[in-house]
Amino acid sequence: MISLRHVYKTYGTKHVLSDVSVQFPPGQVTSLIGPNGAGKTTLLMLIARLLAPTRGELLIGGRSIADVPIREYARRVATLRQTPDFNLRLTVEELVAFGRFPYSRGALTVQDRQVIDEAIEFLSLQPLRLSYIDELSGGQRQMAFLAMTIAQQTDYLLLDEPLNNLDMKHAVQIMRALRRLCDEQGRTVILVVHDINFAANYSDHIVAMKNGAVHLRGPVAEVVTEAHLRDLFDLDFEILQSEQGFVCNYFNPSLSREQI
Amino acid sequence: MRRVATRYGLWALVLVLAIAFLLLGSGFDFEYVIPKRMTRLAAMVIAGVCVAYSSVIFQTLAGNRILTPAIMGYEAIYLLFQALLILVLGTQSLVLLGRNGNVLLSILLMLAYSGLIHRWLFHDGRNNVYLLLLLGLVLSMVMGTFTQFIQLKISPGEFSIFQGFNYASFNKAQPTQVIYSGLLVAAACFIAQRSLPVLDVLSLGRDQAISLGVDFQRSVRLQLALIAILVAVSTSLVGPTAFMGVFVANITYALARTARHRITLPMSCAIAIGIFIVAQYVVEQMFNYNTSVSILINLVCGGYFLALMIRTRGAS
Repeated sequence: MISLRHVYKTYGTKHVLSDVSVQFPPGQVTSLIGPNGAGKTTLLMLIARLLAPTRGELLIGGRSIADVPIREYARRVATLRQTPDFNLRLTVEELVAFGRFPYSRGALTVQDRQVIDEAIEFLSLQPLRLSYIDELSGGQRQMAFLAMTIAQQTDYLLLDEPLNNLDMKHAVQIMRALRRLCDEQGRTVILVVHDINFAANYSDHIVAMKNGAVHLRGPVAEVVTEAHLRDLFDLDFEILQSEQGFVCNYFNPSLSREQI
Repeated sequence: MRRVATRYGLWALVLVLAIAFLLLGSGFDFEYVIPKRMTRLAAMVIAGVCVAYSSVIFQTLAGNRILTPAIMGYEAIYLLFQALLILVLGTQSLVLLGRNGNVLLSILLMLAYSGLIHRWLFHDGRNNVYLLLLLGLVLSMVMGTFTQFIQLKISPGEFSIFQGFNYASFNKAQPTQVIYSGLLVAAACFIAQRSLPVLDVLSLGRDQAISLGVDFQRSVRLQLALIAILVAVSTSLVGPTAFMGVFVANITYALARTARHRITLPMSCAIAIGIFIVAQYVVEQMFNYNTSVSILINLVCGGYFLALMIRTRGAS
């Protein structure tokens, strides 16, 4: 279990996070939502150890994360940031093989190769296996990077806006894959996501942030209500239920209310 | 398969070039001509390895294909240091320090400069290529101006000594210095060889490298230290090589068609050594020493650098 205790992150006089204490339930998909600048990504980067907190403590399994050697940490927590515009000449297979680096430092064992195969199969990337990542579409590249983090075989997966710039089909593919990682393999997934509908339909748990603090947190059904969302985003919401799930409509909800 | 053929083909070509360089027009004079040429060849091999390794590794750390140590001011600071030495100590500096003392001091200086670069540029892994490029060029220019200013202050005799530092040349390499440099470079390459997998991971960028369990700060510090040693050895052995590094690295990426350092590093060495041999041969045999290797290399590589800048700007 990953938990934060009174965590602050400050740049100069700007408080990006102030007094954040939150726990992430294991074996669940948790979405971090909130307006831009709320500190979601900063929070995720603190857990990933890409940033150090100004004050406060982050714990993994009761142990302070700063005390875990970075190499051991990479076997417990995998992070995927927004993938840069790559001009690296690597095949999908070579990229996924990097996921084994925390274990074998570049010299792949038979077991490593098996894990790589499984990760590629898990996302049905076999046809792209020998393609170069700089020749893939944005969505395919994101899938290849996700396969790399899957091959890292960590209990925790952290994803920073994994759906950015993806079309709907790839976005659904990624979210389904995360759901399956959680349900089939019992991994804990924590992601920053901007699309409230993906967050609401695919996660178990929501942490809503606003102005550098945790605004609300709890199971999806508790957090995703019209009143809460209005309060969080300063925007009128209308939640439409259907048998397939529900849709949070924020495009013209106040208008539609007037028309009724 | 094609990749493998390119790799071995390149080394075979370099070998042929090396043998041709040693024997062509030597009259098989094993007493004087060939040993002299051996020294020059060794200097070229060492300098080639230095330029290739330092450029490819630096580009991996910086995450782009334009910056090299030379462009980031490493060579400019070396020249400034040499000019200062001559200004302060006069021609005595050569006697006082000896060539090895000078090399040692240069290495220390480059290590310090690497430390500064590490602090300024790589501390958070977020850097803008164009800002770095601008910074490097401005730094080089500022140091170049200082150097020129010092040149005005020194006597013609001292100036001619300084000119010796200012231009790349394989003719000035002394056998003992070649041996020391060779050992130093071999040690540096051994360390670089051991960190090949880490270099591959570093090319994914800071964030991905950390989340794959690489101690980013430590690895970057180590690699920058290696770069400092390599650049110091090559500049004190053959002089500044300016745009050669960009040229070598980019030709390598185009030929290797992979980003794995296991392949790119040896290949870039072959290319650098090959270019040096050809340039030196042309200077010796065709121009009869009427031009210098620096001028030839800067002409070709500088032109390529410009083309690269224009092309990448068009692409982005």
